[in-house]
Amino acid sequence: MSAQRMALWAAEPDLDDDINDVDIPLTIPPYQNADLYDDPNLDESALLAVQAQIAQQTALAQIPDVVKRFIVHFHQAVLDNNLPEITLAYESGWNRLTEKFYARTEWPEAEIIAPLVNDDQIFLILYRELYYRHVYSRLQPDIDDRFHSYENSCELFNYLLNSEVGPVPLSLPAQWLWDIIDEFIYQFQSFALYRSRPANKTDEELAMLGSEGGAQAWSSYSVLNVLYSLIQKSRVNEWLKARAEGKSDEEIDEIVGEYGTKPLYRQLGYFSLIGLLRVHVLLGDFTLALKVMDNAGLGLCAGEKVPFTAPTAAHVSTAYHAGVCYLMLRRFTDAARVFTGCLNWVMRARQYHTRSYQYDQINKTADRMYALLALCQTLAPTRLDDNVINVVRERYGEQMTRMGRGEEGLGTFEEIFLYACPKFITANPPPYNDPNTLALLINPPTPSSPSSPTPTSGTPTITDPTQRHLRALSAHFLALSPVPTLRSLLKLYTSLDARKLAGFLDTGVDEEEVLSWMMVMKNAGRCVGRVRGAAGADKDEKNSASTANGSSAGSSLLDGEWMSISDLNFVIDENMIHIAESTVGRRYAGWFIRNSEHAARVFDGLRASPLPGSLPGAKTQGKGGEAKGDTSKDTAPRTSGQKVAWSKVV
Amino acid sequence: MTSATSEWLTPSTRTELIENLVSGVDRYNPSNVSILEDYLYHQIRSGEYDCLANLAILKLYQFNSDLYNPDVVVNILLKALTAEPFPDYNLCTSLLDDRLVNMNPDEPDPLPVLLPILTNLYNLLHQCRFPAFWTFYHSDELESLRENYIVECVGFEEAIREVAARAVKATFTRIGLDRLGTYVDLSGPELEMWIEKQGWSLDISTRTVSIPSNPDNEIESVVIRENVKLAQLQKVIAHAAQVK
Repeated sequence: MSAQRMALWAAEPDLDDDINDVDIPLTIPPYQNADLYDDPNLDESALLAVQAQIAQQTALAQIPDVVKRFIVHFHQAVLDNNLPEITLAYESGWNRLTEKFYARTEWPEAEIIAPLVNDDQIFLILYRELYYRHVYSRLQPDIDDRFHSYENSCELFNYLLNSEVGPVPLSLPAQWLWDIIDEFIYQFQSFALYRSRPANKTDEELAMLGSEGGAQAWSSYSVLNVLYSLIQKSRVNEWLKARAEGKSDEEIDEIVGEYGTKPLYRQLGYFSLIGLLRVHVLLGDFTLALKVMDNAGLGLCAGEKVPFTAPTAAHVSTAYHAGVCYLMLRRFTDAARVFTGCLNWVMRARQYHTRSYQYDQINKTADRMYALLALCQTLAPTRLDDNVINVVRERYGEQMTRMGRGEEGLGTFEEIFLYACPKFITANPPPYNDPNTLALLINPPTPSSPSSPTPTSGTPTITDPTQRHLRALSAHFLALSPVPTLRSLLKLYTSLDARKLAGFLDTGVDEEEVLSWMMVMKNAGRCVGRVRGAAGADKDEKNSASTANGSSAGSSLLDGEWMSISDLNFVIDENMIHIAESTVGRRYAGWFIRNSEHAARVFDGLRASPLPGSLPGAKTQGKGGEAKGDTSKDTAPRTSGQKVAWSKVV
Repeated sequence: MTSATSEWLTPSTRTELIENLVSGVDRYNPSNVSILEDYLYHQIRSGEYDCLANLAILKLYQFNSDLYNPDVVVNILLKALTAEPFPDYNLCTSLLDDRLVNMNPDEPDPLPVLLPILTNLYNLLHQCRFPAFWTFYHSDELESLRENYIVECVGFEEAIREVAARAVKATFTRIGLDRLGTYVDLSGPELEMWIEKQGWSLDISTRTVSIPSNPDNEIESVVIRENVKLAQLQKVIAHAAQVK
């Protein structure tokens, strides 16, 4: 049934052509395709009434019939809370029709299509949500679009949060809910960036931004207010805590209340946590950003369980922003671990997402994570997952070599950071309500002008906050710049006099300076990082025993322990540097175990299949066994039904 | 056992009132800024330090530019300097949105002048260039910072010496007395007392200071071998048993 329905507005090109051939204005033969539309819920007379209005509105008449039908159908699906139908319309129908009719123009305005949906205000809000998202992603939003999309978001959240009847009786797919939150923050970010550039604005734009409403629109407080309200209303933090404590379903229902038991609110609450993480990152508050996620954890990307199947984009966004936080906190091992975990997962999940319309976005974010990972490896080289690190080397090998040369690599370092970092924003607008100061900001007086006695302090300037974050990280990069050279020299010795070392280095470097570099190097060889209880134990960390206790005490994402991350260790006895190098022996076991298991599967497969001659069509089962390994190993070897007794004890 | 960051996350000296502000949504309420500012001045007078509470002040300033008080910001940055090698100083400056310089000539904003100086101090600490730090610290350029702010900040120099002590402790087993003196800007009996307070021992005859061993200044070459656990072999062994 659903397949048949979908065909109406989405698929068959010949059907679409029929509709396009219809001469558009006024006299559309009523429902020549009505027999195809077999939805029993739709009443003919209602459609005819709609049809009468169509005749009066040429604007509406110009909308292709297939689009109209889509909207009516979409509306009905939302009214019925029919999740599969909504998902289908949302993920496939909308995008197909966009490609076909609205690749370069707006969708019809909500007011025009209102008669099609009986003026259903809630649906129109949802429709506008899609309408503006399309404008932002495909077209250039003008200032009116920016203000109106803000108003529409407010209406939507107001409806969800301040409904008089308690939780609203609406069901939407998780993907859409995620997109609502994600898009809300994207538009906030986009507005903040637009607002931060007062030059090249028309008088009308300046007037609107300077008005009281202009100052309110997309204000940081209003955005945070929405996200915190969704979190509090859904009691998602309480829910996550209760789950972590292993409470029963009844107890949890009790705790989360009437809103939190509804999937709509619970998911919105959970996505708001991730949204808040992102907003705090954009505003440069890296500690608060991670603190928000304390209860939710970092999910899949940190090898943790997730409370429900969230869209891929949500995981990727979590990992990217959390990783940026750790990077700015100079906790490079944590950053690298989050990036690696997520990239590994994206790599494996890639085959399932090739057709998703979010695929591009996910890939772009993943590319940025590879770039940031290259920075992590430069600042604190650690052993990482082979698959991921191979991609990093493939893409950034050359740049990493350049960054490894110290100061001369600074340009490369900054270039990669600027490409891969989020577009940071400032919380407050330039003074649009004060035209004089604004004019000064756009056209700063020339410093040499004799009229201004203190030219430097009197000139207001607004710089991109990204530069501020870049400076902080670049300073660290520069502080570490002597380390690679020192490392390569120290590796050659077991003990070395500091004066002699100074002699090896460039002229003009005295012993005192070398000693300060050595202290910098010492600091760079340690790092605060989260220790995962289980994984920490087999990480070969010498001090893992002492840290195991600490990890259970606090689950905060900001928690951490000192750990040594350098394989080259040294200590200075007055003037003599003693060096000790740790080496990691080659690991054979993993390879051996994987291949033994693979061989076992092939063997089982061969034994289970009929002899060659007897059935010519028999396939070789071993083929593709690598990918499907997990499923085949569960089913294949159990033939004997025999279980080794002690295998459970281990 | 407490983790390396627990005192930073929730200092033992933090009161419940502050804890609620730092962890709750009340941190966004502009009317609470005075509570947090009072707490900062308490830190300044008592030598305590609470980074997250101070970040909450900067957050309020970020959202409400009318609350902005440059003296508070300078004090927060001074406190953050002493947290090195933790990145507190950068976390604070990350929240300092560029603001329009106060046009009022009677009340000039001191921050635009002081911020580059503070950043310079921070970079010297971060690069472990302690003698250069002290030279710059005593220079005329810093007179206004010293006399207007640092003088109020109890234990500031002592806290900077702790930064140096942390770096030295990790890197050295023995260090020359005079060299150590330049790192902590002390000499003679003062230096000897300071060394004693650290629990380090001074050998007067060789003029060297011995630093007790700690996890960072003990080194040994380790060869890390892989460690196969029985559980990893479970499938292989189980399969072998079944095939029989």
